[in-house]
Amino acid sequence: MASLRPRRSADPISDSESSDSREGDEGWDDVEQDEEETTEVISLLDDKVFPDVLSMLAYCKESHGFDFLAVRQKLQLDFHGSVKLVNYIRHRVHEGSPVTEDISKADFDQDQFLKPVLDDDAVIIGLFDLPDVVPEGAPAAEGQGASVVDDLLQRNTQLQEELARVTAQFESYRATVAETLDQRWGDVDAAEAEAKAAGDKGKTKAGEKPVDASKYYWESYAGNDIHETMLKDTVRTEGYRDFIYNNKHLFAGKTVLDIGCGTGILSMFCAKAGAARVISVDASDIIDKARENVIHAGLASTVTLIKGKMEEVTLPVDAVDIIVSEWMGYCLLYEAMLPSVLYARDRYLKPDGLLIPGACNMWIAPVADGEYVMDNVQFWRDVYGFDMKAMQSGIWDEVRVLHWPKDRVCGSPAGFKLLDLYTIKTEDLTFSSSWKSELTADVDDGLDGLLVWFDNFFAPSRESQGVGLQSVADEWAKEDKDRVAFTTGPFNDETHWRQGLLLFKHKDGEASSAALKKGTVIEGEVTFAPPEDMPRGLIIKTEWSVAGEAKKHSQSWDMR
Amino acid sequence: MSDSKKSDVEAAELALKGMAHSEQHYFNSYNHHGIHEEMLKDEVRTRSYMNAIVQNKHLFKDKVVLDVGCGTAILSMFAAKAGAKHVIGVDMSTIIFKAREIVDRNGLTDKITLIQGKMEEIELPFPKVDIIISEWMGYFLLYESMLDTVLYARDRYLNKDGLIFPDKATIYACGIEDGDYKDEKIGFWDNVYGFDYTPLKETALAEPLVDTVEVKAAVTDPVAILALDLYKCTVEDLAFAVPFKLTARRDDFVHALVAWFDIDFTACHKAVRFSTGPHTKYTHWKQTVFYLKDVLTVTQGEEINCHLDVKPNERNRRDLDIKVKYQLETQDPTRQGQGEAEYKMC
Repeated sequence: MASLRPRRSADPISDSESSDSREGDEGWDDVEQDEEETTEVISLLDDKVFPDVLSMLAYCKESHGFDFLAVRQKLQLDFHGSVKLVNYIRHRVHEGSPVTEDISKADFDQDQFLKPVLDDDAVIIGLFDLPDVVPEGAPAAEGQGASVVDDLLQRNTQLQEELARVTAQFESYRATVAETLDQRWGDVDAAEAEAKAAGDKGKTKAGEKPVDASKYYWESYAGNDIHETMLKDTVRTEGYRDFIYNNKHLFAGKTVLDIGCGTGILSMFCAKAGAARVISVDASDIIDKARENVIHAGLASTVTLIKGKMEEVTLPVDAVDIIVSEWMGYCLLYEAMLPSVLYARDRYLKPDGLLIPGACNMWIAPVADGEYVMDNVQFWRDVYGFDMKAMQSGIWDEVRVLHWPKDRVCGSPAGFKLLDLYTIKTEDLTFSSSWKSELTADVDDGLDGLLVWFDNFFAPSRESQGVGLQSVADEWAKEDKDRVAFTTGPFNDETHWRQGLLLFKHKDGEASSAALKKGTVIEGEVTFAPPEDMPRGLIIKTEWSVAGEAKKHSQSWDMR
Repeated sequence: MSDSKKSDVEAAELALKGMAHSEQHYFNSYNHHGIHEEMLKDEVRTRSYMNAIVQNKHLFKDKVVLDVGCGTAILSMFAAKAGAKHVIGVDMSTIIFKAREIVDRNGLTDKITLIQGKMEEIELPFPKVDIIISEWMGYFLLYESMLDTVLYARDRYLNKDGLIFPDKATIYACGIEDGDYKDEKIGFWDNVYGFDYTPLKETALAEPLVDTVEVKAAVTDPVAILALDLYKCTVEDLAFAVPFKLTARRDDFVHALVAWFDIDFTACHKAVRFSTGPHTKYTHWKQTVFYLKDVLTVTQGEEINCHLDVKPNERNRRDLDIKVKYQLETQDPTRQGQGEAEYKMC
């Protein structure tokens, strides 16, 4: 239902959106860069340009008789107050009205003055570099010797705390500004698209603009439900949490990139674990909620949220120490988010950087469950006395996502694909691998299908990872206390990924297959590939045969 | 599939592509088999329709029947079995091509004509029909409902003395004690792995929850808040504002209002009705829960004055904007409680 929600800039016809949103990214760039490098400081009271804020203020005091620092001190302005004062002055100057030192706080204590008059005003950014406002009634430095040192130390601590607070305030201020701007562009977008749609009416059929197929994808993550489901998937969320909190030494002072941050949970885990900086990227609207969550958690000075696609955004840093991402889809590769992680790995991860998780492997096992087939396939033979077999047609062509009862798995699980995330390439995600399973019980009515799932591995370093094709999550994790691993398989607690069922198609009337004895070997080859027309979809194909039988079976299933 | 059928399907899919995004989603989501499987396996629903139709052969014999939103054509086939002269099934969704195969397999092709398209745009092979059958109900009766289409068909095609199956729908509400689940669904956002997630709480509160409620959770008596007579009601009636009073049956807390509906086939020789309430068998409609921001502490006999305002969303008519006001009438100043909440079903 998520995609039903009307959204600000969700118009399938508009292709202007992509270019506009790129503009939005540029806006981000500017802000980020200004913070890194010094730009020109334009005088508050005329159009002279200075290399830094202090020399500009000195000039204003000398030439215009306006002492900004004295006014700020007199009015006891905090960061937001100072921002308002700057914008108020700029506003007055712009109007041609005089600015004098007898300004009162009431003149400019309005939210409208939070909005910058100058884009990327270097004075506002430079407010950090100014000497602090001395609290009223604060004791002037008095006494001698030890007490002076104590005072200074105390003052130093106070200042550090103050700095942290102001930095956090600035982050939230910047986020608010960015959000307001985003919104403005969003509105322009919608209006443009509407005008366009109105103008194009009647001829849309033939010359229709290609719809951005991925839009549905991002929209599907904008609602609450999906995030509730993921957060309440304790196997998943606690897996990440345990690894991050148990390995705080890995995060201390590090720069972390969270790809597809959603509500920001993993970013906040990393920030709590001591990361110096966390950069969180998501293209879905949920990032607006993540921003609020981060502010509520008091982590706004550590976590920087960037809205956009990983491949299109510009990060404020050149390299990161750690990439954390929960990118896994149904049958691991459905929805194809991994290529974005691999892109970021190649572009941003330091040579000795850490990937969380660092490896995954995929499993397949034969299953049999007459009851399931009866309820879901045979059902259509007689529906209130009518033959509805026509409804069966899709059943064998689509992967069915469900949590399969473990006692209906009838063969040994076979690991068929190892993904070492440090080395794997996007092209390796289209692959064929062989597998082999031995039946663990007699199967009287033949096999009904195959079940596919995956395990995830979190290791504290790439050298110590040591994950093999047949590594099982629980056993691998037990070998070292710093490791965390979890499986999405049928033998453990259900996760929101459940498993993928590949149901065998049996021709009507034909016995599904003969009874099979325990110990019989089933061998096959499985192929994963995205459909040509839907890069986020998945086609799974398998050929298999029962040892001792000449007949080769083959079937393929879609996930769309 | 023959070539002509195939081009039918392609033409239909093309038509779907031309529609607004939200409309398209509505019709497309019904293409998935899952939803039809769920509806057919909803025994309360399907069996009630079956009983209403096949136990009343005297009403259906030699009649022309229109099935609005026929889906897999199960109701059309019931009507054909009940002796209808002819049944016309109409559905916008491409499921209708499956329905054709099904009707064919069951040897009813000469009795049932299936038309793919919007009721408002297609041409029926009969100028008038004797009976309209339709399973148009959505969650909370009106969400994503097809009732407006049924009313259009009634005004355009139904004979003066024609019948509608079903012909009565009633929405009920009561107050429930639901502390544990409210904690799990709403309180969850207060503390997510140690973090304050309240920005998502507001969204959670604004989305009515479709879920099953146990009858023992009911703290007040149920009250009928809207009764629709399908022979008389108009599209305007689907936006409504009503005051109602809920009377506490026992001393307890009220965390939410829950709503459900009953459906009546009064034309039947022996009346057929089914309920989707918490007191009876499960249906795929479940119930709809509206969590209140506060908790009301009620004692037996006290009344909660409520006001419910429901209207289709202006941008997407299948979505609903819902407003609830509530005020507890009590002499006890410490338990005074009132508030209002807005919800969106989308």
